[in-house]
Amino acid sequence: MNVFATLLKGFAWGWAAIAPAAVGWAVETDTAGNNRQQQAAPATAAPPETATPPVAVEGLPYVYTNWKHLTVADGLPNDHVFAVKADGPKVWIGTEDGLACYDKRTGKIRSWREKDGLPWKVVSSFAVNKKTGELWVGLFGGGLARFSGGRFDHFHQLNSGLVNDVVYGVAVENDHVWAATTAGASRYNTVTGQWTIYTEKNSPMEEIWNYGVSYDAGKVYLGIWGSGVLEFDVATERWKDYLDPDGEMEIDLYRDDGIVHVITTGTSYVDGILWVSSYFGMCRYDGRHWRGYYAHETGLPSDFGNSVAGRGADEAWFATDKGLGVVTDFPTDTWVTYTMDPKKRTGRAVIRRGTDVLKTVEMPKSIPHNYALWVDFDGNDVWVGTSKGLGWAIGSDYYPGLKAN
Amino acid sequence: MKRQLILLLVALLSAAPLALAETEGTDASRTPPPIAIDDSTRQVLETINSVGPYEVPDLGLKQDQNYAHTSREVEPFRHVKPYKEHFLLQLEYTGPGRAKPEPKDVQTVKIGFIGPIMSTVSVATGGKSHEEVLGIKMLQGSQLAIEEANQRGGYLKRKIPFELIVKNDNGLWGASGNEIVDMAYRDNVWAILGTIDGANSHIAIRVALKAEIVMMNSGDTDPTFIETNIPWVVRCIGDDRQQGYLLVDYLYHKLGYQRVGVIRASNRYGRFGVREIRDGSRRLKNPVPLEMAYQVGSTDYSLQLERLRQANVEAVVHWGDAADGARVLNQMRREGMQHPFYACDRCLCDEFLEIAGDNAEGVVCTYPWDPTRTDPKYQAFSEAFRERFGEEPETYAAHAYDGMNMVIWAIQVAGLNRAKIRDVLAYRATPFEGVTGDIPLSACLDDLGEVFLAKREQGAWKYYSREDLGLARQSATPGDPVQPPVTATSSAEIQ
Repeated sequence: MNVFATLLKGFAWGWAAIAPAAVGWAVETDTAGNNRQQQAAPATAAPPETATPPVAVEGLPYVYTNWKHLTVADGLPNDHVFAVKADGPKVWIGTEDGLACYDKRTGKIRSWREKDGLPWKVVSSFAVNKKTGELWVGLFGGGLARFSGGRFDHFHQLNSGLVNDVVYGVAVENDHVWAATTAGASRYNTVTGQWTIYTEKNSPMEEIWNYGVSYDAGKVYLGIWGSGVLEFDVATERWKDYLDPDGEMEIDLYRDDGIVHVITTGTSYVDGILWVSSYFGMCRYDGRHWRGYYAHETGLPSDFGNSVAGRGADEAWFATDKGLGVVTDFPTDTWVTYTMDPKKRTGRAVIRRGTDVLKTVEMPKSIPHNYALWVDFDGNDVWVGTSKGLGWAIGSDYYPGLKAN
Repeated sequence: MKRQLILLLVALLSAAPLALAETEGTDASRTPPPIAIDDSTRQVLETINSVGPYEVPDLGLKQDQNYAHTSREVEPFRHVKPYKEHFLLQLEYTGPGRAKPEPKDVQTVKIGFIGPIMSTVSVATGGKSHEEVLGIKMLQGSQLAIEEANQRGGYLKRKIPFELIVKNDNGLWGASGNEIVDMAYRDNVWAILGTIDGANSHIAIRVALKAEIVMMNSGDTDPTFIETNIPWVVRCIGDDRQQGYLLVDYLYHKLGYQRVGVIRASNRYGRFGVREIRDGSRRLKNPVPLEMAYQVGSTDYSLQLERLRQANVEAVVHWGDAADGARVLNQMRREGMQHPFYACDRCLCDEFLEIAGDNAEGVVCTYPWDPTRTDPKYQAFSEAFRERFGEEPETYAAHAYDGMNMVIWAIQVAGLNRAKIRDVLAYRATPFEGVTGDIPLSACLDDLGEVFLAKREQGAWKYYSREDLGLARQSATPGDPVQPPVTATSSAEIQ
């Protein structure tokens, strides 16, 4: 977004940017914290009529208010959802005790456990090879599996070049499959069958404890516990490292001087922007400038980031141990925080600009549990894996950025 | 009518598995603990037993004033207020694990052990492993704690024994991660004690975090082990940061050195072990003039020693294994280097003395506890250890014994629920009274108990606390002026 557009936004007036066709419910709260509407409405009802006086804000972001939950009761093999991957009408779900596939057309769930051929029960990550349609499954302690034609092919330390069986992340890069493991990264050429192992011996890994891997536009990014982020340029096969410049574990000296901490958990590269999650805060990097994010000054519910999914240059979703924090509009530092009330199990979305609360939206449901582990985008929809079920945020009228009403 | 009966039968049959599943667990974890607990622990227990899978118990979080007793003068970038300070506020576990019922069908209460107990190839050294002697002691301490607990009736709520599931910490290709997965998902242990090697420990705790299981560490003194923001990790041994702070205070505030050289193992233990000494020296305006590394298991250190001599150092600090330390010392003395020799806790052992011989006299080692303490608990442990294994206990055995007893205590109190086992450890208000001394846990669940310096005097190790040395902790309050150095007038001066 350019500066002019941002300035235009700054003069816009917005007070009810909750998507017009979003489900109409419940309670919205103005910036003073006063409830404005107590009436719950069915999912198909008209949008809420709010009575908030206009607030001088720069437009508001889209808020997902229509959520569905999938749990064991619906057919998942386990509620502890480590990973989710949407692929056309299918949604692949990795749990602590099995693999599942939700068919959006039929609403049915099919699952696989070890007795069904799944090599190991704990599924930690997915990637889909768009060229072949193969599903690559990261197995936490069981290596890597290729699921194709109803058959699982198993790759592990003893039969392949997979460097370790504890796989945290998987990504497809051209004809290669990358696996981020606890003892380095492996790159598998699916055409030639050649494996390449990357550790401290042949890459700038200060530590070898890989956590997340992502690929886009010619660059592979590894999120490495203790080694920040490594960038692999596919064309040149050269590495570049991103570390916390202060070099200290117990502090972040300056917020925007680089990555906030070297204990990183996830990377997401999209539209030329690198988004990073860590257990100490989050980051955005545009190739020249870093921006650090901490819970005390943003809409992040917590600094403990389990993963990140970037949706564009200005929007990223962070799965934390206390809910979902979404940068919905980077230029204006606008956030939406999704949490669930642990007693009533209702949902809440809080729109913030920096630390200022612009609007609170109560809803019957949001994320299934506040311990969020994974996010994946599915067109306008979003899938959220949590430690107590899978959330499906339906956003048929989703819009990026901000919209004045 | 017949059709209705069939439908009824189908309904009953389909409901049966559900009913079975619902009765698989019991409320045993919610019954009062069979051992005496204080009011604070009782409140923790009541709170964690009252929450459902979506709630996070409000237990109040520990808030430390500064990290790891770091004095103002050795804080990193102390002239600048950091944008963010980590590890001061206690970590929470916010997942649903507390609501899992205690399983019904349990024959033994399994506790995992992972340590280097078999010879293998080591990532740390790139060759033969070298930590088995430490790992076997750690295993013995753990075994003794388990056996004693079983003599007292085992897991008292169910009157079933504890069982130690033992895994070798094979450092090759991150194998410790696979072992933790096995223990968490196949063996179904309730908590794990281990490891020693810093790299393997990091791999292990990453897995423990995802599998949501307590990892008690009694043997890895790598400061970064705890600096990972994992709410499932507890350490019951004073780390190299604590030991390094004391040594730095002693070298510069007590003895007034200005040029201290470092020789260390070229592995993670050596690299991270001296980090606080190197940083602390620089921050106290006495930067280490030279830090030399050697390959573990070397027999000739002439290059490193020559460089140290050329650097005109006044004293030498060694960080590495005992055998290497002793060989470095011997070669120094052979070559006429009479520099005072300071070393890490791994050098305080029989192996060091056997190799160093008379050269050991006057050596000062950091140490995470005082094994000459005379309290009855420690004496009972020593006696039991001698009786069980026919040898003297040492630091890895004693700390493992403490760590395993902390885990056993937590299981007795919390029941068979991994999250609750973690909670009662994490929110315990008073220090654990171990055979190695009191173990007060910081906000990030690290042992902040007292550490010592040990000097070899007249053929015996003599242990000195900070108080013995007249080295009061320096001010740690931001904004406070840096305290002047302590003058070297104490009668307890050891060099």
